[in-house]
Amino acid sequence: MLTINNLTKKFGKYTALNNLNLNIREREIYGFVGPNGAGKTTTMKICAGLLKADSGEVWVDGVSALENNKELKKKIGYMPDFFGVYDNLKAIEYMEFYASIYGINGKGARKLCMELLDTVQLKEQYESYVDTMSRGMKQRLCLARCLVHGPKLLILDEPASGLDPRARVLMKDILKRLSGEGKTILISSHILPELVQVCTHAGIIEKGKLVISGSMEEITSARGNSRPLVLKMVDNQETIIRIIKENPYTRKITILDNVVTLLFSGKEEDEAALLGSIIQAGGVISSFSREESSLETLFLQITHEEET
Amino acid sequence: MLRLNPVYQKELRTTARSLRTYVIIFAVNGLLSLFGLFALYLSFEYQQKIGNNVEYSAILEIYSIITGVEFFLLLLVVPAVTAGAISGEKERQTLEILLTTKLTPGSIIRGKLVASISMMLLLAFSSLPVIALVFSIGGITLRDLAEFLLLILETAIYLGSIGIFFSALLKKSTSATVAAYGTVLLLCLGTFGAVWGIHFLDQMHLNHAGDTVTAIQADIGNWMLLLLVNPIVTYLSILKGQASTGRTLASLYEKYGNLPEVLNEHWLLFSTVIQIVIAVILLLSAAAILNPLKGNKERIKHKKQNTKKKVANK
Repeated sequence: MLTINNLTKKFGKYTALNNLNLNIREREIYGFVGPNGAGKTTTMKICAGLLKADSGEVWVDGVSALENNKELKKKIGYMPDFFGVYDNLKAIEYMEFYASIYGINGKGARKLCMELLDTVQLKEQYESYVDTMSRGMKQRLCLARCLVHGPKLLILDEPASGLDPRARVLMKDILKRLSGEGKTILISSHILPELVQVCTHAGIIEKGKLVISGSMEEITSARGNSRPLVLKMVDNQETIIRIIKENPYTRKITILDNVVTLLFSGKEEDEAALLGSIIQAGGVISSFSREESSLETLFLQITHEEET
Repeated sequence: MLRLNPVYQKELRTTARSLRTYVIIFAVNGLLSLFGLFALYLSFEYQQKIGNNVEYSAILEIYSIITGVEFFLLLLVVPAVTAGAISGEKERQTLEILLTTKLTPGSIIRGKLVASISMMLLLAFSSLPVIALVFSIGGITLRDLAEFLLLILETAIYLGSIGIFFSALLKKSTSATVAAYGTVLLLCLGTFGAVWGIHFLDQMHLNHAGDTVTAIQADIGNWMLLLLVNPIVTYLSILKGQASTGRTLASLYEKYGNLPEVLNEHWLLFSTVIQIVIAVILLLSAAAILNPLKGNKERIKHKKQNTKKKVANK
């Protein structure tokens, strides 16, 4: 659905995107993660036809985003990170305004707009003035506006920013439903645990390059041996710590009360050997496992590595 | 079926709901009525009190006063209404959304301009009862009134295009408003100043060079054409033939130099055509400024040509 090949964008001397490559298939909900200034919004703006690229290619459902802006606009629905609404317009009028842009007028427009307001759970508020709505409602209204012309690809830049937990859960449910209806969604967010819950795929961008990309399972299982080992000591703590320190795969050790967290570069069999030697030496532990991997820890690891 | 520009439709709806619209209509018509009634009082009551007679030939001045005030208010209102048209969208952060829809930058500009012109026409039509005061005296025909309304339309397009251009160019409505008013001031007073200044310098030069006792009047010639872009001169030129004020314009020309007869005869036509051309250029420029991908087609074409050349060389 969305293919980006060697996309490069510079702002003066600053390189925002450096030969970025990305491929998103139909019906995927792709989480686009990266620190501030990594190039997420720039990528999204280029995909939405709002920014020129210096080089590279962007294809949306077989249409070149850089060469055929008119066709691109039919394929995408874009929701920017910051957006405003018009004063003195009701929710239904706001929707009908965008419907009229696509030549949908009269009763047909009213029916479609009411359906879309229902999709984003704003049907009851159709007569409310937009400027009196809460931020969460405005976000959902903007999402409904994106859907008015039936786009195949939704580009959502931080759609959940500034929302309270309840509104975020609602937004998440709506996105899942839209994906179920056949939409492909590219979504950027800083709220990583929620991306994990909603996305089928994800990619981490850093300094204009995609560092890692794949399904959520692939992403969270990546760099398995770089996840820290966590041990909970019950007895004979000094012996346990000595054995850990003597192990050639131990890189860094942190001890907090009876919990030892260590960066361990060995493989599974090396982990087993370490556990065996601790037990043989009379060490008593109640737990021994790798720290659970998450998009958040991976994101922090990757961005930290890039920084160092 | 004729399809209205969606931006225009939306603007009409929001303008109709805005308190500002009613305040502007009330203020403009209030001021116009005050001037109209004051002019009537001066022409009838006051003249009778001081001279026991009414000079009916001077009463046509009322028409010039009322239309003059209306034209002046137009100069004040149009930049204020149009300068926020696009920059307001930028400030509200709604422009990006509009640009990702099917709307082209040109249609956004058209919608905004037509909405502003509609506002001006609404003002002009709402002031018709005040202008109709002159019909109680006579001397002004319906055709004169129609000509004046057309001039209002043309000036609204001209000044509106200036406001919209700066609105597209600048990020903030305040900056756009200042720039639009500055430009209108430059056109209205700056061109007069320039003509006066050039004439003054020419005259000084002549006085310095001349050794005869007879004073020679300087003729600044084509510099007079600067006044073609001045909306006030265009307004004065329409009064020529409508009310006797037209003579003032002719004397203005004569003072600074001689213009070709054809220009003298058809000043209104020439100035409106030039002003509309300027308006079109400004509107096209505004549309180009709004286009986020301007220059992209050329870049792609150039890139394709380079690729073809490389393939051919291989």
